[in-house]
Amino acid sequence: MIKHHPKHELLAAFVAGELPAALNIAISAHVELCDECQQAITLLTQAKADEVFSIEDESVFNNVEVDLDDDFEDLMIAQITSQKGDYVDEEPTVCTVEYAGKQVNLPRALNSVNWAKFQGVGKLSRARLDLDEGTVRSYLLQIGAGGSVPMHTHKGYEVTVLLDGSFEDEMCSYSKGDFIWLDQSFTHSPVSNDGCLCLTVADDAPVFTQGLSKLLNPIGRFIY
Amino acid sequence: MLQTSNGNMNQSQVENKRSMLTPEQSAELKQWLIAVALKRDKKSFALLFKSFAPKIKSFGFKQFNSEALANDLLQETMSLVWRKAHLYNADKGAVTTWVYTIMRNLSFDMLRKMQTNKEDCLSDDIWPIVDAHAADVDTEEFADHLLKQQLAKYADALPEAQKQVVRGVYFNELTQEELAQQLNIPLGTVKSRLRLALGKLRQQIEENS
Repeated sequence: MIKHHPKHELLAAFVAGELPAALNIAISAHVELCDECQQAITLLTQAKADEVFSIEDESVFNNVEVDLDDDFEDLMIAQITSQKGDYVDEEPTVCTVEYAGKQVNLPRALNSVNWAKFQGVGKLSRARLDLDEGTVRSYLLQIGAGGSVPMHTHKGYEVTVLLDGSFEDEMCSYSKGDFIWLDQSFTHSPVSNDGCLCLTVADDAPVFTQGLSKLLNPIGRFIY
Repeated sequence: MLQTSNGNMNQSQVENKRSMLTPEQSAELKQWLIAVALKRDKKSFALLFKSFAPKIKSFGFKQFNSEALANDLLQETMSLVWRKAHLYNADKGAVTTWVYTIMRNLSFDMLRKMQTNKEDCLSDDIWPIVDAHAADVDTEEFADHLLKQQLAKYADALPEAQKQVVRGVYFNELTQEELAQQLNIPLGTVKSRLRLALGKLRQQIEENS
């Protein structure tokens, strides 16, 4: 049962196309599994479309025939209508990844994305998505059964979408489809008893805050 | 972005936004798009184009700060409207929503190309176009994806007049009455063309299974 959803403002920015690709992919992955957010997206898209195409502007959806003789546009129209209307929507392929000895379907949003090989330390293993977005970094992250991520907080934000399995931290336990947004006001140490596969997006390296794991800060970039 | 203070957009706010386009205008847009879908009607397309062009251009200009790129966005968006019109499903949403989705997706891919040197076109997988899910909620007889695709292929091979009614009824989900009005033919003709076409489709399925 999905309990954690993207905030309304984030869904609105998603619909408006204002977010980096990695965040769009994370939200899309959640929405694919969440009927509630799918409905919200439908309403928001409608509202956004009406805002963008609203009739406040004098010329639109009014007297459309007035400037029908605009040469440039007529040329464009002629060029477009000389094409065939034969577009065929391809059935989307489903990508899978092997984890914990099984094949898991990945979200559709990852269909055209490449990622590097999984590399691991202990029970953590991750593959960086090749999105080329500067400080925004995104990974597929596997936590093996009984594995955990040392206590850390974040300079920026960290988004986790749970694609398979479960994990828990000091605040909650999470299940498949949950969308978890954390920023510097949170410190947590996720533990996965049965293992899990996540999509993570972070806009800066996590900062480890406790005892020995502070030593991990130089390799903090490795974890998320 | 939408201005919401409490993070919840209630129904009345949505209604408010939607009222910007009168029901008559929405119906007109739908009529034009269906005419493009069914008859490749160039006049209707020109009307659609003139309705959307100023808004797409100003949206594009805000995104790219370049008139040339705004014109590219306009051309690409309206090309897809022309080429994909037969995939528009009136039950799934307004014409404005459909066109917005196409424009937003193209614009996202264009921006990404400029900012990252990537040409990976992620948008259609991030925001699947509304019609991509149509197959999931179709009636049970079309439940099988493969069968549906196969049917679409057979339907495309039908004579033009029969193809029009099959597309109109099964893909655009118009009623037979709406279709008769749209194509300006008697209802009886729609019914008989549909009967002929379905007979032919059934025959082909039997032969190939």
